[in-house]
Amino acid sequence: MEDRKIMVHVKDLKKNFGKLEVLKGMSIDIAEGEVVVLLGPSGSGKSTFLRCLNQLEAATAGTIIIDGNDVTDKHIDINAVRENIGMVFQHFNLFPHKTVLQNIMLAPVELKKMTKEEAKDKGMQLLKRVGMEQKADAYPSQLSGGQKQRVAIARALAMNPDIMLFDEPTSALDPEMVGEVLSVMQELAAEGMTMVVVTHEIGFAREVADRIVFMDGGYIVEQGTPDEVISHPKEERTIDFLNKVL
Amino acid sequence: MLYIVETYGAMLLRSLGQTILLTLLSLLFAMIIGLIFALMNVGRSRIFNFIGTLYVDAVRGVPLIVLAYFIYFGIPAGIKSMGIQDFRLTALSAGTIALAMNCGAYMAEIIRAGIESVDKGQMEASRSLGLSYGKSMRLVVLPQAIRTMIPSIINQFIITLKDTSILSVIAFPELTNTGKTIAGNTFKVLETWTIVGLMYMIVIIALSKIAKRIERRVNRGR
Repeated sequence: MEDRKIMVHVKDLKKNFGKLEVLKGMSIDIAEGEVVVLLGPSGSGKSTFLRCLNQLEAATAGTIIIDGNDVTDKHIDINAVRENIGMVFQHFNLFPHKTVLQNIMLAPVELKKMTKEEAKDKGMQLLKRVGMEQKADAYPSQLSGGQKQRVAIARALAMNPDIMLFDEPTSALDPEMVGEVLSVMQELAAEGMTMVVVTHEIGFAREVADRIVFMDGGYIVEQGTPDEVISHPKEERTIDFLNKVL
Repeated sequence: MLYIVETYGAMLLRSLGQTILLTLLSLLFAMIIGLIFALMNVGRSRIFNFIGTLYVDAVRGVPLIVLAYFIYFGIPAGIKSMGIQDFRLTALSAGTIALAMNCGAYMAEIIRAGIESVDKGQMEASRSLGLSYGKSMRLVVLPQAIRTMIPSIINQFIITLKDTSILSVIAFPELTNTGKTIAGNTFKVLETWTIVGLMYMIVIIALSKIAKRIERRVNRGR
């Protein structure tokens, strides 16, 4: 892993919401192609950490360097950096006034990365990849939760990002739809995508993650391979948490 | 009644035209004013927030009739006292400014509420794709906000149409002012105001019917 390019470099990241300190100094390096799963109780700062990476939340202190760009720098073109970071949300956040295909085409066309025809081809290709090509002209309201999330993944991939962030992508889904979303994510991981995933799916974490990061109270408590963290946790808080969810 | 229609029909229709002209002009500018101040209010800049709130509070805090007097009589008097003699505001432009400012303040609140009714995740998803704040607002948030805004905007249109009658005080020849003239000339007070009232009513009912149709069309495919 040492010889791989560092895609995400975070040093002493702190984030406050008013007086509440959510991240109390986090440092982590994530290599190209690595799949990192963040585990931890709610309120531990996992989602906040993820949202700091693409600056949906501005960091209070610390450094975040994504693929060589310091995103905490005020003078950086954050929109250009975000093109390279796809994000998938818990509540899908598809654009309800646009069709499935239009959802995917919006960013590439508006940001002039592709012509309409190219974006359409790319969109159909992505929809095929997530098994949704027959729903290209449907509106989001006509889809099930699992279908929505697969479309959201396709939309996030449309700008050809090098990094994908997943913020509890299966938490809002009915249980029978979790599998279809996880299998799309698993394929993505197998293709070598750099992924940072916040999830409560321990099974997915064990199978797909290269590294598990266990967070609590705004700190990284413990990290390592799935075998180390999930099967042989060392820290009291990790053991406690795993006992509750397993 | 027939006598008034026969003698003053053309005059009434002409003044109804003036009323509609005044309404349309005011609404056009009110939409622009409303959008500008609404965007100021929902943005993150404290200075813009302050300006936006100040405008809405100031204009909503003054009765339309006072605003009309201020613009039609007050401003030219002020400019004259500064030594500029030939400054003039027509009743139409003063009326349009007063109505547009007034309606613009309410429109700003309607648009702000509409924008805020759109789930925050929409802006976040759009920004996460690399689209700028402005593009996200224009392509993702506003098209959704418009749907919730339409009933309130139609309501505001109707209020503005009726508020044009207040501008009879600055001698603008709109429908109510013409009604006053006719009632004064003929002493047929009941008949005159019945006709004037019916004319407003017909236009407003027609307007709401058209608006309902637009609302249905916009909501399709939701």
